[in-house]
Amino acid sequence: MPQKIYDVCVVGSGAAGGTLSAHLAHLGVDVIVLEGGPKINTRTAFNTHGMPYEFPLRHIPTMRPGVAGFESERARGVGGKTMTWNAVAFRLSHRDFKGRSTDGAGEDWPIDYPDLAPYYDRIEREVGVCGNLDHLEDLPDGVFLPPVPMKCSDQIIKRGAAKLGIKIIHVRKATRSVAAGARPACHFCGNCMAGCDVVAKYNSADVHMVPALKTGKLEIRPNSVVREIVVSPENRVTGVKYLDRESLAEGEVRARYVVSACACVQSIALLLMSKSRLYPDGLANSSGHLGRDFIPHFTGGVQCFLDGLKGKPTTDDEGFLDHAYVPSFMHRRKRDYARSFGAQFNYQNRRAVGWARSIPGFGKEYKQAVRDRYPAFVNFSPYGEMLPNRETFVDLDYEMKDQYGLPMSRRTVKWADNDRKIFADMQRWSVEILKSAGAEIHSVSERPATNHELGGCRMGTDPRTSVVNADCRAHDVPNLYVVDGSVFPSASEKNPTLTIMALAARVADHIAERMHRGDKA
Amino acid sequence: MKTNSRRDGLKIIGAVGATCAFPFSADTLYGQHQHPGPGPVQIAPAGPYKSKNFAEPEFALISRVADLIVPPTDTPGAIAAGVPRYIDEVVTANPGHKARFRKGLAKLESAAKAKFGQKFLDLDEKQQIAILTPLSEAADPFFVLIKSMTADGYYTSHAGLVQELGYKGNTVLSGFPECNHPEHRG
Repeated sequence: MPQKIYDVCVVGSGAAGGTLSAHLAHLGVDVIVLEGGPKINTRTAFNTHGMPYEFPLRHIPTMRPGVAGFESERARGVGGKTMTWNAVAFRLSHRDFKGRSTDGAGEDWPIDYPDLAPYYDRIEREVGVCGNLDHLEDLPDGVFLPPVPMKCSDQIIKRGAAKLGIKIIHVRKATRSVAAGARPACHFCGNCMAGCDVVAKYNSADVHMVPALKTGKLEIRPNSVVREIVVSPENRVTGVKYLDRESLAEGEVRARYVVSACACVQSIALLLMSKSRLYPDGLANSSGHLGRDFIPHFTGGVQCFLDGLKGKPTTDDEGFLDHAYVPSFMHRRKRDYARSFGAQFNYQNRRAVGWARSIPGFGKEYKQAVRDRYPAFVNFSPYGEMLPNRETFVDLDYEMKDQYGLPMSRRTVKWADNDRKIFADMQRWSVEILKSAGAEIHSVSERPATNHELGGCRMGTDPRTSVVNADCRAHDVPNLYVVDGSVFPSASEKNPTLTIMALAARVADHIAERMHRGDKA
Repeated sequence: MKTNSRRDGLKIIGAVGATCAFPFSADTLYGQHQHPGPGPVQIAPAGPYKSKNFAEPEFALISRVADLIVPPTDTPGAIAAGVPRYIDEVVTANPGHKARFRKGLAKLESAAKAKFGQKFLDLDEKQQIAILTPLSEAADPFFVLIKSMTADGYYTSHAGLVQELGYKGNTVLSGFPECNHPEHRG
């Protein structure tokens, strides 16, 4: 029997791959998803409600005993990072899409807000995003479930920020604030990032892929670590080669279209590994830009104790981690840098008391000082937008192999002048806001830390300086797509996942239309 | 072929931290440097425990210092909260700490000898505190180490987290309560 040829082979099952494959299946396209990790049962796989004292080293393992998965980036599990994300779901704005036109630095996206707006609408309806209609030009409103109330500590910080003319809004998260169908409303146990076992928080496996299985058009193949996208001498991708996660047995899938949707750095690595006579430097890399233009978010961090809550009774305020957000404000103010920053805060899990180490002294007074500060502790973390620079890139380290024998991906990050200026300013403002709210500053991080990974497989109009076009299709290969954070030409300071999902839904429409047109690529 | 089963390497040029969802920088427990055990294992908070790393007098000294750092008050202290056992588990998982402890404990004993002519455990509480105070003020590396482990172990124990700090989370709420404190609002 000849090997089945699928319409579309999607590599990865997270926010991008899960959304894309479900949308394709609903559009009648025959799709197979290859996921490096295992399929897990969301209700029983995670140590969702663990307490540290249940474990000798007080570290709560992600998975329950005997459950595999999530042990490496290359093989997390069906659902990918959406299983353990914090679910912040923001739309980008015109300013984010047109950064170069706005402040002269970095790159513009080849698409703009109106291109994605209908897809944001659609995704928000599907996943359930709670939030408030704030009518901000720079952080567009969406189709929201009711917002979740702010914490006492949020109100105190909000009041402090208001004195500085800075607005604080309800956070927007892909977590249900009201029940619908099989998904209950959030019960505020504080364990979002430990794996939400009731699926009040969106994950791509339970919300997008499982329902799409009913179409009969979707096949999920877990434990399949893709190591190469195969390209024919006629410059068409024909499928992928993969390794079984456990036996390392070779497998192959053939498809008319291939979509790499396995998260920023892993997509870049997969394309770089896919060398051929046509593409000796990596698939779809005739521009030489694959892996360049890597622009991860960078975070700062301030820890503090709010004066107004010191010595007060401890309350159950873990909630669903952060309940409020500081949208960018510096883009409207005079500054000596391009781009801007926003801030997530008050996301601390009260089972982690690491700050107690650095409260001075010891003995009874020390113990009392920790007790007094415990209900008042707040983590504050601004997120800045990085500009691309030539010394920041992702490549492969052929000296270092992972358990599959595949070269490890390597990130090289150099902070440039603009990044440093943003970092200094966002740390300064974080301290100012907290002081204005009345706080004892406990620690201020001195160096930026990378966070949400973006860029490296940039979307653009010029095939000489970008890897994919406005439809996420490789400039070089007409039936190859990349859909994840790697295609972002500019990062924005806003959390990227909702945009990745909107892009996935848009690409699904695009591929289905090509297929229905009879364009078999 | 070098192998590495951990997450992909991050080559550091300039100043870059590892990628994580949140910068919980100060909340990295010592124990997290190793892969966690099979768990869940309920830790006995008190009772006799034989150290896997230290002779009995050494472990008694570690236990006493931990209890001086977090003493019993209206809630249990470090010993009753099982901190010595936690420290022992961390040292088992990170054998490099063993020599640091040995050296630090020896220094404590010689300070006790020099100042009061006795062994640390034979001193009264005031004298023991007098030995520790200059180490705390000077941020002595051994004191910082044992204090950090004591804080980690105590505040992640049931006694420390629930009894002492009054932790109330990890429950099911029907809704998140609105803040009804006018003093918190603008």
